[in-house]
Amino acid sequence: MASTSRTFRSDAIAQPERRGRVLIAKVGLDGHDVGARLVARALLDAGMEVIYTGLRRTPEQIVRAAIEEDVDVIGVSILSGSHLAHLSKVRRLLEEQGASDIRLIAGGVIPQEDIPALRELGVSRVFVAGTPLSEIAEYVAGIVRAPAPTQPG
Amino acid sequence: MSHEKQLETEDRPCTLRAPPLERREQFVNDAGNVVERLYGPAGLEADDFEYASHLGNPGEFPYTRGIDASMYRRELPIVSAYAGFGTPEHSNRRYRELIALGVQSLSVALDLPTQLGFDPDDVMAAGEVGRMGVSISTLRDLEILFEGIPLDTLNAAGSTANAIGPIVLAMFVALGEKQGLDRTRYTVALQNDVLKEYVARGTQIFPAEPAMRFAVDALEWCVEHAAHWIPITVCSNHIDVAGAGSTAATAFTLANAKCYIDEALRRGLTVDDVAPLMRLFLNEREDFFLAVANYRVTRRIWAHVMRDHYGARDPRSHAIRIMGYAHGPRETAQEPLNNIVRITMGALTCFLGGLQDMRCASYDEAMNLPSDEAVKVAIRTQQIIAHEFGITSTVDPLGGAYYLEALCNGMEHDIASIMQRVDDMGGALGAVEHRYIQRTISEGASRRQRAYERKERVSVGMNIFPSEGDARPQTFRTDPGIERQQIGRVQQLRRERDGARVRETISAVRACARAGRNVMPALIEAVKAYATVGELCAVLREIYGEYEPDVSF
Repeated sequence: MASTSRTFRSDAIAQPERRGRVLIAKVGLDGHDVGARLVARALLDAGMEVIYTGLRRTPEQIVRAAIEEDVDVIGVSILSGSHLAHLSKVRRLLEEQGASDIRLIAGGVIPQEDIPALRELGVSRVFVAGTPLSEIAEYVAGIVRAPAPTQPG
Repeated sequence: MSHEKQLETEDRPCTLRAPPLERREQFVNDAGNVVERLYGPAGLEADDFEYASHLGNPGEFPYTRGIDASMYRRELPIVSAYAGFGTPEHSNRRYRELIALGVQSLSVALDLPTQLGFDPDDVMAAGEVGRMGVSISTLRDLEILFEGIPLDTLNAAGSTANAIGPIVLAMFVALGEKQGLDRTRYTVALQNDVLKEYVARGTQIFPAEPAMRFAVDALEWCVEHAAHWIPITVCSNHIDVAGAGSTAATAFTLANAKCYIDEALRRGLTVDDVAPLMRLFLNEREDFFLAVANYRVTRRIWAHVMRDHYGARDPRSHAIRIMGYAHGPRETAQEPLNNIVRITMGALTCFLGGLQDMRCASYDEAMNLPSDEAVKVAIRTQQIIAHEFGITSTVDPLGGAYYLEALCNGMEHDIASIMQRVDDMGGALGAVEHRYIQRTISEGASRRQRAYERKERVSVGMNIFPSEGDARPQTFRTDPGIERQQIGRVQQLRRERDGARVRETISAVRACARAGRNVMPALIEAVKAYATVGELCAVLREIYGEYEPDVSF
């Protein structure tokens, strides 16, 4: 996975504070990545380091890449309707591999009624279609600035 | 851009003096071009507009006004449907309902595992079986899907299969035989346009070049065995929606069509063998008049490319059939009934643009698989426009309108210059390799998103007049039992079929692919032996290789 993914660094002047590393991921078989790429670009423009997985990754591949690339946030894009199954698996794998400090956000075609369940299983925030890119960038920047959450128990 | 030419003095009579303040400083369309206050004869004169060479009568070169002299006075646009979900039994019931409502042509929506060459019991298929479409892993599934629906009772049957297009074609050949039909009595219409998958839509399996040759196997086979079928529908739809905009998307689509034709010519076929079997799927959802102009001028460009570039002589090669999928501007999940209005306007562009075959989107498609009610409204939308309002009584009713023809002329120029750039990169495959098409798409997507956030691109109920409260459309949930049933069925079939015959026919597919021969005859034998889509794709992956995901953005 690491060999097939590339990190794009913003041309913005390096700042002393941590800029944040984000993995934008397409999970499952759905091939629609316009939104994922737009978000990746917007985060890059906002000064973050962004890695995009490309299409059709498994939860295992995504978690491995996130750990290898030492990211702060994983943003999963999904439009096929399989969000509950895939995101719960990503969350579980992160926990099993001691990486539960990596925050998980999601976007795509996700019905409002599924959002509470996603929050429940540890997705920090769900961005539905139509969300301004600046809102996503601000949210991710906020996560990065905040101290890593301490692990309960 | 010719249509941007100012029409200062001649076209602004004093009675139409500009109001002191207009709503915007500048009106810009989705193609990025400035829209003038008024269009008139001076603009057309500046483009050297001539009726005979720019338009011609309907049914005559260059077919701008339509491919038939009588158009909808003879035949209305085919009411087609893109449908499928769950098991073949579920979808068969839906198909019968659609036919009862007046649907004439069915395009099978395949689930993602099928489109990507995975059987239902493959680990990659987990959670996706029957979700975005119907699960068809063997001929048995297709037999059930069309149980009680003889293919010759439809105007056409087919599928949006792309990477697996030839496999699905083989299945329809076998199904026709099972139904006891002569091939001349029914029509199969496939998408099978794999090239656009690499830049939009995303269901590619193999690297682009062997995938393109595989798609042309279907075209070549049909030339000899079913010359009235449509083995390739070259699509601008997905490229436009991904961000390119309809003008660039049409240029890339025509470049893709040329790529398939060039491959056919390399095999010794002539342009008049293959062009009449092709069809375009065009799209423009952002601007009503751009849509009508796009359909009309694309026919003109196609006619010239076929005649002047390829030397085609058959009028059927010059006159391209076009299909459309009426969406209208961005369907929204909020206040979903508003989408009916949007889709209706989109459908009207298809009629005014002279399309042959169309379908209307369902108003709840933005959220999920469509509900029964939404599907019915979609079909009725097309029927109402076709029958109720006088729209189909004359041919090309907007022909000659100053604005429309100015758009056509400007678009023709822009499409030609993008096609030239693609040619300079070595054609469609080269342009993908240079990332020219991907870059155009991603820049366009960013531009559209910025315009949306600045409210230059507007969605009523979303970024202006935002909806109070959050209307929730019905959602369609796939029953997990569907996956279990399809897994059970394919595993049982593997036990019951003639294993030796399966192995033998799959070996023949492998041998053909390896030798670079047309794999269609071998595929037909293999699907008749009930080889699965997953098994066939595994063999083809061995020979053609696998697509590597693109990680740039």
